[in-house]
Amino acid sequence: MPLPEFDYIRPKSVEELVSILAKHGSEAKLMAGGTDLLVLMRDRLVRPRYVVDIKGIGELQGLSWDEGRGLTIGAAVTLNEIIASEVIRERFGALWSAASELADPTVRNRATLVGNICNASPAADTAPALLVHNAEVEAVSAKGSRKIPIEDFFKGVKRTALGPDEFVKAVHLPNPPDGAKSWYLKWKRTWGEDLALVGVAGLVANSGKWIVRVALSSVAPTPVLVAEIQNAFEGGGTLEEKIEKAAASIPGGICPITDVRCNAEYRTHVAAILTKRVLRKLLGLG
Amino acid sequence: MKKEIEFTINGKSRKLTVKPNELLLNVIREDLGLTGTKYGCGTGECGACTVLIDEEPVLSCLTLAITVDKKKVTTIEGIGTDENPHPLQQAFVETGAVQCGFCTPGMILSAKTLLDKNPNPTEDEIKRAIEGNLCRCTGYIKIIEAIKLASVRMGGRRK
Repeated sequence: MPLPEFDYIRPKSVEELVSILAKHGSEAKLMAGGTDLLVLMRDRLVRPRYVVDIKGIGELQGLSWDEGRGLTIGAAVTLNEIIASEVIRERFGALWSAASELADPTVRNRATLVGNICNASPAADTAPALLVHNAEVEAVSAKGSRKIPIEDFFKGVKRTALGPDEFVKAVHLPNPPDGAKSWYLKWKRTWGEDLALVGVAGLVANSGKWIVRVALSSVAPTPVLVAEIQNAFEGGGTLEEKIEKAAASIPGGICPITDVRCNAEYRTHVAAILTKRVLRKLLGLG
Repeated sequence: MKKEIEFTINGKSRKLTVKPNELLLNVIREDLGLTGTKYGCGTGECGACTVLIDEEPVLSCLTLAITVDKKKVTTIEGIGTDENPHPLQQAFVETGAVQCGFCTPGMILSAKTLLDKNPNPTEDEIKRAIEGNLCRCTGYIKIIEAIKLASVRMGGRRK
């Protein structure tokens, strides 16, 4: 089916993009990879008057890391660029593994991390990784710039905290605590392509005190961080007991639905199992 | 608001006037008459419409034609001919990796991207490289065999 008609705008700078959105915000949609937007337009689920292509903006193409400031990923950075980054592979394992599990290599040549979170699907693979890594979203508009904690960014199915005149310039991930490890496990029906039936990201660190974070996709209207996981590691007991206690807190922290891909009870069951698996992997328990 | 774009298709420079909502897939098939690139799902799941833009595989059903201005596009027709096929094309024919043929152009372009970067892929690496290309006939076994055969002929050593 042909796409509906629209005007195409390709700004060259952030300044130009800000003024386009100040003028046409509610009638415009930003396009980075286009791998979500063009499908939604084809199905007439969104009908923008203007499609604003951000791939020509040099300021949005940076991926940088610094011992002090951590990791910064610009809005036009593709998932394949994230997978190619040694720093991300070594220090932000959940993000690296989530990017590697998203769709397929050809889609990942175009699709971006920022596009994945702005699309705000409950199944967004990269969102749980950003949640366990305490990411911050840098949103910019004509009024200025603000930092939105990733936990406050998702507002519902396909809804974010962004205003119509705002766009995401970059995502920042602070350096994880000393010795931290993180990873993302995705449960899907086929190896390539499928959306997550359930996705679980975990982060574990212990330099005297446990820091344990678990976040999930496809089990609630938005990706969710389950705060009770931390409590499971604060009391006594063996590691195995802590992991069991953590998994037991999962059903209370999620609210999955039944859909074409699987039913809610199955999602709840798999969410607890994947939580145990990711924690065992990160704790070196095999 | 039509716009003139200039790009290279299979080594030849072309100028075309396109509307913003025209997809690269339709321009390739209908305006340029290159029907090797297939329209499968139209939603970025099957890989039948895969082409190379600046040597990287992308889905032409999810690419606006207007965005290939000044870029280099390569389709299945651009990597070999009947008389002088690409080693991957030859290997697909010889191993019977083609049944209905609909997924073949995308499969070969994804495989070419893999072998250009990694001449000695493991079977697992081959599977990962073609995970975005769906085949509904052969069941992938022959396709993987063909890619292994081509890798040897292109100078790689099988592990």
